[in-house]
Amino acid sequence: MKHIWERKPGDRVIHLHRPQRYRLRRVLGVPGLWATAYGNVGSSIYYALGIVALVSLGATPVVLGVAGIIFVFNALTYAEGVSMLPEAGGSSSFARHGFNELVGFIAGWALIFSYVVTIAISSFTIPSYLGYFWEPLKHSPLIGTAVSIGIVVFLMMLNVLGVKETAVLNLTMAIIDLGTQVLLIILGLAFLFDPHLLSQNITLYWPETHNFIFGIAVASIAYTGVETISQLAEETRHPEVRAPRALVWMMFTVLVIFAGISVVAFSVMTPQQLATEWATDPVAGIAYYLPQRLALNPPSDPALNILFTWFIAGLQHFLPLLVAVLAGTILLIATNAGLLGISRLSFSLSEHRELPSAFKRVHSKFKTPYVAILVFSGIAILLQLPGLFSFDIFTVLGGLYAFGSLATFALAHASILSLRWRQPNRHRPFKLTWSIRLKGTELPVTAILGLISTFSIWVVLIIYQPYSRWLGFGWMALGVGIYFIYRRHAHLPILRMGKKLKGITKAG
Amino acid sequence: MDFRNILVPVNGTPSDAEALRLACKLAKEAKSKILIVYVVEIRRSLPLDVRLDTEISKGEDTLTRAEQVVEEEEYQAEAALLQAREVGPAIVEEAVEREADIIIMGFGYKSRFGEFSLGDAVPYVLKNASCPVILYRLPTKKAGQRLDTEQNS
Repeated sequence: MKHIWERKPGDRVIHLHRPQRYRLRRVLGVPGLWATAYGNVGSSIYYALGIVALVSLGATPVVLGVAGIIFVFNALTYAEGVSMLPEAGGSSSFARHGFNELVGFIAGWALIFSYVVTIAISSFTIPSYLGYFWEPLKHSPLIGTAVSIGIVVFLMMLNVLGVKETAVLNLTMAIIDLGTQVLLIILGLAFLFDPHLLSQNITLYWPETHNFIFGIAVASIAYTGVETISQLAEETRHPEVRAPRALVWMMFTVLVIFAGISVVAFSVMTPQQLATEWATDPVAGIAYYLPQRLALNPPSDPALNILFTWFIAGLQHFLPLLVAVLAGTILLIATNAGLLGISRLSFSLSEHRELPSAFKRVHSKFKTPYVAILVFSGIAILLQLPGLFSFDIFTVLGGLYAFGSLATFALAHASILSLRWRQPNRHRPFKLTWSIRLKGTELPVTAILGLISTFSIWVVLIIYQPYSRWLGFGWMALGVGIYFIYRRHAHLPILRMGKKLKGITKAG
Repeated sequence: MDFRNILVPVNGTPSDAEALRLACKLAKEAKSKILIVYVVEIRRSLPLDVRLDTEISKGEDTLTRAEQVVEEEEYQAEAALLQAREVGPAIVEEAVEREADIIIMGFGYKSRFGEFSLGDAVPYVLKNASCPVILYRLPTKKAGQRLDTEQNS
């Protein structure tokens, strides 16, 4: 009788040849894949809500909604892409197959930028939430930024040493996080939701048009999970089926949760409060105000009133503490996930000879890609440094993230369309069916809309946000420069695929 | 008990030889098949299908030595090199796939923070394997000394 036990996430097993025959065992199922991805995505609401409110004020729920629609386009494109190409690399892999090596590198380099900024933002937000325990962590830029830099350094060392992260902790935190957010949503919507108040908050604090569009760009930070799932596809059993399924699950979960949280936020505080006092820890703001607002409507029955008072007192003490601990932990996990993602991606780019082989150098003792970890952690720290001098970097980091992620998503959509054009008969286990016909080729409408929306928002971003424009293009120029120099030096073609390096990864 | 397939995970420690000798003894009685596995553990900061030359060489050497031990016992074995995130789940998964009737694992005396420790893989296999598991711990002077101390006190 075959015994079925619960597999742990990421426990795909590869059977290696002796010496050349290898067999991979993939054990990550849909729930494990969803949970691991949600653990990354679910953390972003802890800062995304605040960043979006800083930019879009009253339009925050609308902006998150519009960004949510674009997220659906992205998720569907990735679902088709990852089912066709179940390998680590995500949009970089799609672009490599859809266009050429150079475009694949550009997508990968933009994605690395997004990961670096995610590490910077996630760790930057942790001290704000921990300000519940010690106020200067939230209100002192010097102390807060120093702590966030310390967090990145700590995780950098952990990953260089190769300390194992526990999958059980990741899963547990994802479930507790989801449960807490559902609790906040239920309490907020059940007892405090007022359509009139919501409408008032939206209309009275409506931003200028370019800030509205910038808000949509920045809101993409709330929906980071699509790349996570595509990166994990190679560790999934039947990825052509399970990865798209996990993407769809995650899509619904994220949209419902983010919509609910943003509506609850506007039910308990004004956009002004959200964008000022609680910008860096918006969910803590919800936990702070929710019991106070609930207390304004006590029941008339004396017996119920006693129970109600006791309940509210408990919420006032328990909820902010829960959010502080939960946010701190889950943002730490998300920062670490960003570090892992970046090291794997840069390793993958280096294996495809798009980045110098230094990025796939593995430590002889710890067996970790220490060069990649050190370099990109260092860049994340550099991005945080201006925060030491009271420079408001929160919105800037949001803009930088939007630069990288919008470019990545636009390239992903373009790659899927290109693959439909160039390889129309390629096997697509998950094929987007809503298509238009162009010269006999079916082009998915969601990919077209996704490409148009992400590209146009990216253009608005680079026009109106000089910091994102110069730093973003500077990063891309640096990357393309490295690519060209490396490929020339290695006598490799610029556009065509070079041979993937096999069997020569040496620890050193 | 008759075992058609005996799975013996090895990790390059002295306990491998003893576990293999025990497996050969059991296998000869029932004419069982012995499957030796070595798991290359890959950190999460690397892609799962990375090829780490040094680790693969180490695995190969370990499997070669294991095969030699089995040959000395005048028996035969099949050896496989696996690559996974964690050793424990890889062993359990292999046991399921290969329909192993028993797993025989050897390990030496280990301590963590001064306390005796089974490590990570052994408890996982003990907890999750669907087939019987024999754990062979090498004798140590330390354990013997502790017993003497307890008897004398």
